[in-house]
Amino acid sequence: MSCVPMKHWLTMLIMSLSSLTAMGFTFGLARGDDLVLIRAKHVVVGDGKVLSPGAVLVDKGKITVVAESIETEGAKVVEADWIMPGLVNAAASYGVSGGNSELSVEVAPDFRTALSIDPDSRDFLEAFDQGVTTAHIIPGTDCVIGGCSCIVKTTGGGASGAEVLMLADQHGLAIALSSDPTLRNQSRGRPDTVFMRQPTNRMGVVWILRSTLHQTKTDGESPYLSVENRAIISASLDGKMPIYSTSRKDVDIRSLFTLQDEFGIQPIVIGGSETYRIIDAIRERKPTIVLTEQAVGARASSLRGQEGTEKRWNLAGQLAQDGIEFCLAGGNLLDQARFASRFGLSREQAIAAITLQPAKILKLDQQLGSISVNKDADILAFNGDPLEFTSGLQWVMVNGKVSTK
Amino acid sequence: MLKRFVSKLFCCAAVVAATQSAAFAQETLAITGAKVITLAGDPLEKGVVLIRDGKIEAVGTDVKIPLEAKVIDATGQVVMPGFIDSHTSEGMGQANERNENVPFLSVVDGIDPVVDYFEECRRNGITTSAILPGNNTMIGGQGVVLKTAGQYVNDMIVKRDTGIKISLRPSSGSRMGHIARLRKELDKAKQAIEKKKSGENAEAKPQENAPAQPETPRPAEGENVEGAPQDGATPPAADPNQGVDALIAMLEGKLPAFIYCETAMDVTTALALVDEYSLKAKFVLGKDTYKAASLLAGRSEPVILDPTLIFWETDPRTQEDKKIVLTKVFSDAKVPFVFQLENSGAGLTSAGSYLWYQAAIAVKHGMPEADALKCMSQVPAKLLGIDEFVGTLEAGKDADIVILSGEPLRLSTWVNKTLVRGKVVYDRSTDTKLERLLAPSAE
Repeated sequence: MSCVPMKHWLTMLIMSLSSLTAMGFTFGLARGDDLVLIRAKHVVVGDGKVLSPGAVLVDKGKITVVAESIETEGAKVVEADWIMPGLVNAAASYGVSGGNSELSVEVAPDFRTALSIDPDSRDFLEAFDQGVTTAHIIPGTDCVIGGCSCIVKTTGGGASGAEVLMLADQHGLAIALSSDPTLRNQSRGRPDTVFMRQPTNRMGVVWILRSTLHQTKTDGESPYLSVENRAIISASLDGKMPIYSTSRKDVDIRSLFTLQDEFGIQPIVIGGSETYRIIDAIRERKPTIVLTEQAVGARASSLRGQEGTEKRWNLAGQLAQDGIEFCLAGGNLLDQARFASRFGLSREQAIAAITLQPAKILKLDQQLGSISVNKDADILAFNGDPLEFTSGLQWVMVNGKVSTK
Repeated sequence: MLKRFVSKLFCCAAVVAATQSAAFAQETLAITGAKVITLAGDPLEKGVVLIRDGKIEAVGTDVKIPLEAKVIDATGQVVMPGFIDSHTSEGMGQANERNENVPFLSVVDGIDPVVDYFEECRRNGITTSAILPGNNTMIGGQGVVLKTAGQYVNDMIVKRDTGIKISLRPSSGSRMGHIARLRKELDKAKQAIEKKKSGENAEAKPQENAPAQPETPRPAEGENVEGAPQDGATPPAADPNQGVDALIAMLEGKLPAFIYCETAMDVTTALALVDEYSLKAKFVLGKDTYKAASLLAGRSEPVILDPTLIFWETDPRTQEDKKIVLTKVFSDAKVPFVFQLENSGAGLTSAGSYLWYQAAIAVKHGMPEADALKCMSQVPAKLLGIDEFVGTLEAGKDADIVILSGEPLRLSTWVNKTLVRGKVVYDRSTDTKLERLLAPSAE
């Protein structure tokens, strides 16, 4: 029992160390020490404002001035039609080599995506090509507690493809309160294999979550909890590490609310496809929601997502109207924002939903997410209105360095 | 004398009946105030489209609107010819046959007019659709061009003998074997033609007036190939020889061949087959065929691109990742193309199920917008041999029309109304499914 503070201390050390490395990386990257002046016909700031025309001065990878026009000497001048902040994907699975879920255990909080990221993976190149400059990489949903996520920047540089810069190597704890973990029992009836997995139904998923959280809290016995695992889950219970729960169906989100009441946690919902069904509860509790796999096209007749969730096109618009903090995440972010706007979200909110909103949710909004003074110079240039389908991405700037496409 | 009188009477009655029924079924309709993108010339600001009996009677800025015309005021909106899906295997349940050699099958027999596909077409401004057997059957049968509105398949048919679908992708076994079996079937048809010819020559004189058995059904089919839209009143008689007959018609150039090429090497094979058997071929291309784009250059006829217009590839040797944009590759190779939609299975979170989205991708990657718009209607009409009836807004053509809320390819533009043969078959203001999707609220 006496080792509890010790565990806490350990976690703190790990976390502060990781944030130090993050800082180090960030400074290390600012090697584009030239002064860069971007002049654009339209500057989409990301917080709802648009400057037409506008100019942005970048010094050592940071934005130093944003104004309608800037006169300066010695700066390299870059012209553009439209610019907007680099996109932030709050639920990515880029480049996790060799699978992103552990199949032999249900609870694996100390498994970290940061440790198995392959910077050469095509995922990063594709993401960068679509304008994603920051990504929150979460473990898969096959485990009830899947592991720790990390946050990276993609730069599109490097000889063999994309370079990956770690912003936080142990950001949040990923859990799956959905039917996903129940589908992974691969024992095929054999009781003596590592693939004999416990939750074979949703009740089991909730039970494992509850018992794990409970045993951590009361320092009780649990087959799942090693010292490291306890440290990580404790940090989450104490609110020092955010919890991200993949939950799509209304029933799963309700269960999440129950756990929220029992343990005083504030999980961030990833998925959220059916939140419209429990909109009253959502209005009351105002969870933070990372909307994924939003329908961007297809049939109006049969819109079914994973786990058979029934979809609505204007879910983002609905959440915005109710003042819920949310962002759009997953593949092809820009198209998601375009369709969300087509389906009813305002232009400003659609842009924010893939830039400033996810940055806020990842607690990085002091550093990135909009074209504002003192933030990282992560900027995209388009040859037209970025929310139009016909507009193409011209170049991407990360930390003040431009990659031409 | 009496006989003649009676027949005259009959004639009169028939004419009266015809005009009456036409007047009853259709009305004069004028769409006014809109920007009209005819695809046959420059767009008209504040143009008028006058429709009578399901056909376009006039398009212009100074068209006189008859008193009896019903007017659709489309001020501030944009009017375009209905879009055309150039190649799909939807709308007909199972698209592939287990038997790989089934040229005698007709898609017409499998069409279910109430499936989602047609409803979605109308919702998205598609008024004509070429439906062909799937990509997994060697000789898959005959396709059909349909209007996307109608109660029964016979109401919908624009062109019955659209072509025979041939797939170069082996459904099982090796590619060599697949191509060999395909050639064998084509050779059989070729021999049948030769046999028929030599037979004709030998028997030409003695049997000049005798009814020629094998040919009679075919010339009728041939006429259909050339021309008029069938209303399905005369379905072809069941003929045990239909399989070989269909292939014969194809080899004689009366029926086009829609050849599906999965890979670049298939394009080479297809071109060889086209040469060897003098096929009138339309190329349905898989995404990997981009490597053979230059081989297709110089053909005036557009190819049908894979619905996945953008994808990535890793070079197996250098491990280099490459992004491929099909519209760009084919534009650069000067190969004209049209789009097809992704099928419902792939479509959930992909936007490839909108024709305008495909066109927007082409524009994003350098295609002039005016050309991209043509690829949605005018070009596919030509490709399918139905440009006499659809594809542009010109007098005499079918009144298949889309009324858009704004400029095409724009984010906020919706299909407000879709007209097929002059009838409004979709109206956004009464689309409850769409309303539900766009206004989610707890129910």
